[in-house]
Amino acid sequence: MEIEFASLDDSLARFTLSGASTAFANAIRRAMIGEVPTLAIEDVRIYDNTSALFDEMLAHRLGLIPIKTDLATYTTQDKCSCGGAGCPGCTSTYTLSVEGPKTVTSSDLIPQDPNAAPVYENIPIVKLTKGQKLVIEARAILNTGRTHAKWQPTLVCGYKNYPVITVSDACDACGNCVDECPRDILEVKGKQVVVADGKLPECSLCRLCERACLASGIGDEPAIKISAEKDRFIFVVESDGSLPAKEIMNRALTYIREQADELEKQLGELSGDDRK
Amino acid sequence: MIPVRCFTCGKPISTAWEEYKARREKGEDPKKILDDLNISRYCCRRMLLTHKEIIDELNPYQ
Repeated sequence: MEIEFASLDDSLARFTLSGASTAFANAIRRAMIGEVPTLAIEDVRIYDNTSALFDEMLAHRLGLIPIKTDLATYTTQDKCSCGGAGCPGCTSTYTLSVEGPKTVTSSDLIPQDPNAAPVYENIPIVKLTKGQKLVIEARAILNTGRTHAKWQPTLVCGYKNYPVITVSDACDACGNCVDECPRDILEVKGKQVVVADGKLPECSLCRLCERACLASGIGDEPAIKISAEKDRFIFVVESDGSLPAKEIMNRALTYIREQADELEKQLGELSGDDRK
Repeated sequence: MIPVRCFTCGKPISTAWEEYKARREKGEDPKKILDDLNISRYCCRRMLLTHKEIIDELNPYQ
C-alpha cells in the first residue's frame, strides 16, 4: 500500500492511495470523518441573554465554532482520569461577557487555555443593540464526528477511483469528445485525441466523451473508453482548521490499526488460538 | 444571523459574511466576491448568496 501526496498543507490534502481495496479506502474515509476527535463547545451556561436570539440558538451557534485542538493535551471524557466530571485534561472553558451595541464574534470568547482558542476570530455569534447584554460560560469537550457533526475535523473528505482513458486507433480526431468534456481534460494532438498533460486525475468518469464519440457515428464501439483502476484512489481531505490535515490522516490510520488489532485479539480469544 | 457553517459541507462561511455584504452593497458582482473569498463549492456559495439578514428587524422585539 502506498500513499503519494499531490498537495499537502494544514487545510487541504490531496493524495493517491494505491494497492488498497475499496473497503480499505472507505475505512480511511470513515475514520477521518467520524473517529478523529476534536474540541467543540458542548455545554453552555447562560447567565444573561437579552439578545434577539433564543438561548438554544446561541448554544447551537457556539457549538459549531471550530476550535484549535491539541490532541496531546486533551483526552475524551470517558478516558479521562477525572471520570468525565470535567477537568483541564478533558474540557476547555470559555467565558463571554459583552454589552451592546456590538456584534459578538468568536474573538469575544475568552478561552481558559489559549491553545484551545477558536480557529477563526471573526465568526459572528449575535448582533447586539444598545442595552442588550450577553454573559455566557461555555465548556468544550473532545468527542468524535460519530456523535455529532460539530466534532468532525473534516469538511470535504472523499475519494474516487483513479481514471484510465484509452483511445483506440479507430479515433478520427473529430474533436466531439473534446468539446463535450466538462473538465477540459482532452485535446486533439496530431490525428488523435489525447489526455492533456497532468489533467488525468481531474476526470470525473462521467463518460460524456464516450457518448459524444458514439454520437459522431463511429460505429457500435466508441473509440475513447473510460475505465477506473480498481485498486488506486484519489483522495481529497479538507480540514476545518481544528486539526492539520496530516494529523487527521495519522489519527485515522492509527484508529484503523487499533481496531484491526482488537479484532485479531478477539478472534484469537474466540478460537482459543493465542498467537497474539 | 448568517449560519456559522455551510449546511452541506460544514465549511465555516460566516467569516466571509461581513466582507461579502460590504462589497455587494458597493455593487460588485457576487461571483467575483465569492471567487476572491475562496468559496468554491456551490453549497457554500448559496449560503452567502441566498442569506437575508433579519436580526436588525428582530432586535426591537425582545
